[in-house]
Amino acid sequence: MTWAQDLVRCLKGADVSLIAYVPDISISQATQLMEDDPYFRVVPATREEEAIGIAAGSYAVGRNAAVFMQSSGFGNCVNAIASLCIPCRIPVPLFINLRGQLDEFNIAQVAMGRATRPILDVLGLPYYTLDTVDRLDQQVSGALKLCFASRQPLALCLTPLLHGGKIA
Amino acid sequence: MLRFEATKLILRLAGDRPIVANLGPSSDELWHAGHRDRNFYTYGSMGLCSSLALGMALSTDQQVISLDGDGSLLMNMGTIATIGREQPKNLIVVVWDNEEWAQTGHQSSHTAHGTDLAQVAQSCGIGHTATVTDMEELETEFRIALDREGPCFIVAKIQEAEYMEVAPIEPEVTLHRFRNTFQS
Repeated sequence: MTWAQDLVRCLKGADVSLIAYVPDISISQATQLMEDDPYFRVVPATREEEAIGIAAGSYAVGRNAAVFMQSSGFGNCVNAIASLCIPCRIPVPLFINLRGQLDEFNIAQVAMGRATRPILDVLGLPYYTLDTVDRLDQQVSGALKLCFASRQPLALCLTPLLHGGKIA
Repeated sequence: MLRFEATKLILRLAGDRPIVANLGPSSDELWHAGHRDRNFYTYGSMGLCSSLALGMALSTDQQVISLDGDGSLLMNMGTIATIGREQPKNLIVVVWDNEEWAQTGHQSSHTAHGTDLAQVAQSCGIGHTATVTDMEELETEFRIALDREGPCFIVAKIQEAEYMEVAPIEPEVTLHRFRNTFQS
């Protein structure tokens, strides 16, 4: 089973069936699986903060939702998380592909990629870094359970060690 | 047309349908017009009112009403394109368009300088759009929206008035109350 198949299985296990996302080549392995699976309603958003709004709305009427994005896009949606999900206690799991890591070729991706986890820290949100398929199920299933039990957003940060990275 | 009077009209016609309100006066006036568990007041996240309503509409069969604002929607115009792409049959967006950022000092917004949000919606594939300037037109168009398949998009030109007292609602409580009405 690939990391993407594992991840999709974990989402189903947590009853997450709406996915809002802004495309990213590395996580497209996972989002494509969900696009092809009628269990999921997959909504491409124009910008990451919009994706947060859509996922939050879904949860507000009783359907669990997750957001997929790249670390650059995390920069676009910090206020949506800080002023909507945190004060309203809306648990949205954030799947963030971390750029600026091993083999990064684009200098413009480095600063936001490095800043992502520190920003999560100062927001008081937990994050788990996914860099091996070995413990993926444990990490993702465990994080999803924590997210919905604590009713706060959290992040799962995907790295090139997990998915192979982007080829320039 | 005053937003508070228009909000009371929407609330009267909405029945039990969920309503999401833009931050600031739109949420406060919805509370004063008639607090109910199915009002989702927002407090920050400017621009996301109709994105929230879209997420709701995609996850429930019930008709969902968004009470957005021109300044806010200008901040997240991409969500009009996403509504056009997803074509939720059960989504009605009403934009309170005062052509200004009122709370920050009445700076004129882009809708005072040529931007026509109803035309934007039409260009994004939203089949039913309208611009209304008085209560009678709003009632007519909102009734049409309630009776037909959406998405529907109504721009309501309003005048600013004195602000009402800030609604005494906690965000966490809003979510809890609202969400509970959808639990079977």
